[in-house]
Amino acid sequence: MRTTLLIACGNPLRRDDCVAHEVLRLVTRTPRLELLGVQQLVPELAEEIAGFERVVFLDADVRSMHPAIEPVRVTTSGSPLTHAANPSEIVALSRALCGFDGEALVCRIPARDFSPGESLTPDELHMMREAAGELERLLAPDL
Amino acid sequence: MSTRLMIEPVTRIEGHAKISIQLNDAGEVESSRFHITEFRGFEKICEGRPFEEMPGLMSRVCGICPVSHVLASSKAGDMLLGVSIPIAAEKQRRLVNYAQLLQSHALSFFHLSAPDLLLGMDAPPAKRNILGLLERDPDFLRRGIRLRQFGQRVIELVGGKRVHPGWSGPGGVHRRFTTEQRDEILTWIPEAIASVTLALDRLKPILDSFREEIANMGNFPSLFLATVNPDGGLEYYDGKIRIVDSKGNIFADDLDPARYFDWLGEASEDFTMVKFPFYRPLGYPGGFYRVGPLARLNVARFAGTERADRELREFKERGAGAVCESFHYHLARLVEMLHAVERIEQLMSDADLFGDSTQARASLNRTEGIGSCEAPRGTLFHHYQVDANGLMVKANLLIATGQNNHAMNLAVDQAARHFLGRVDPGIPPDEGILNRLEAAIRCFDPCLSCSTHALGRMPLIVEWIAADGSVLGQISRRPE
Repeated sequence: MRTTLLIACGNPLRRDDCVAHEVLRLVTRTPRLELLGVQQLVPELAEEIAGFERVVFLDADVRSMHPAIEPVRVTTSGSPLTHAANPSEIVALSRALCGFDGEALVCRIPARDFSPGESLTPDELHMMREAAGELERLLAPDL
Repeated sequence: MSTRLMIEPVTRIEGHAKISIQLNDAGEVESSRFHITEFRGFEKICEGRPFEEMPGLMSRVCGICPVSHVLASSKAGDMLLGVSIPIAAEKQRRLVNYAQLLQSHALSFFHLSAPDLLLGMDAPPAKRNILGLLERDPDFLRRGIRLRQFGQRVIELVGGKRVHPGWSGPGGVHRRFTTEQRDEILTWIPEAIASVTLALDRLKPILDSFREEIANMGNFPSLFLATVNPDGGLEYYDGKIRIVDSKGNIFADDLDPARYFDWLGEASEDFTMVKFPFYRPLGYPGGFYRVGPLARLNVARFAGTERADRELREFKERGAGAVCESFHYHLARLVEMLHAVERIEQLMSDADLFGDSTQARASLNRTEGIGSCEAPRGTLFHHYQVDANGLMVKANLLIATGQNNHAMNLAVDQAARHFLGRVDPGIPPDEGILNRLEAAIRCFDPCLSCSTHALGRMPLIVEWIAADGSVLGQISRRPE
């Protein structure tokens, strides 16, 4: 049974951007599962994920049509532009600096509206449930 | 035909900005400007709200240095109440301010500027980032990440959360500091001291390889403004303002931050959303000044902690009077980080910090309140006016990045004139040269957006625009 960390990323004041946080609320808590909500991914998370056998990054994705869980593609070339990081960079840092050797996945949740506000667009309720279902299926063997 | 060169946005800074360079017919730099293109409007948003809400609301100005806004806002609230806060509350505020200085400087140095410093200004952009550092020196990068983590952890322990801690407000703070918190903080100290010392030992020997950058990326005389304690030492939470000139002489002293409007004026220009504060007796733009780590080390006579004092003495030897090279903001940042860790350690054995009384209770006693403190990037002022019911009538924020605005414009102009030389509109300038123009800005670690969530990736676009507005050429380094 593996330990898993779910990291939800998004700004709760940017409507659908917070959908990942809402999905976390729907996931059944288990002793081998930890949940973390952040506004953005930062390099310090490299150390946080190192203690787990599996990490799943949950994020709103404007390009997706349906919720999907897929492996993080780890690359060694990073963004020259900002201090914020993406899952690939976090996993690369964690593997190199903190000895993370677990599985890294990303759960993309379709989202449309990132304007200021606290309410999700109507479609998101369905997407949330679908994403939570995908996660439950992923986690089921380790319950 | 004159041509304009645009660098938009400037990368590895907090927020969105662009640099424009106007070339003359011969392709030589005629003028350069640093444009800050964001508008926030917090001064307007807060009108009509109760002043007690201001620390929570104003902390949203920034996701990197929210503690500074919480503190300046809380202090303005203290003044509105007309109270002196309990000593335990003051010590907690000092502690969290040092922690924020540490995490913010760690972000600036290790994440944003170390790629230039350790990999070189001409390293490929795809490698000139923290993953490039990871390949070159993983231990150095790990230490930088953990230093920031330490600062964030202290803020979380004391303030309740890492970003936008809401534990401080008018009259004091809302939580007691515990021995359990002390014990955890103390476990980090040895590693933090070792990591900052290592960074200093890595930076100082390589400064010689940046002689050209040091001499031409914001090297000019100016005034320097910072808060000092009553003995003229480094001070970050509460004190009087001192201004020194480029010779290191005290130019103005014992200035009351609560009367900042008597001696600071605010000018504006049509090419940027950020104000241009100036020292009023010298007018604008002659009264421009610099704030932040470089200014604080130029202004203070001593640090007040053993290791930082040793580094400060060495730092001061770099200038004949004040150190005027903006490149040395990086070194100053490291000296301040060392000082912050030492101060955090000292506070852990300060009995005042553990006091039970953390809140002075009073109702509104004044209709005008001003709070100031030293934010990571420089002196910060919050100025509030309220009505008889305590509702906000007017707010004015004087933020460090704005106070460095004129100096940043001078720095990018100096760098453009030196490094660009003559530009052929048909041939894009070397990427390393463009990076040097951005690096001139990065010395100041400007904080422009002050919002936490990065919406997507910022592309870098350089355009040649003719006087008639037509685009003559463009290069882009948009990431995949």
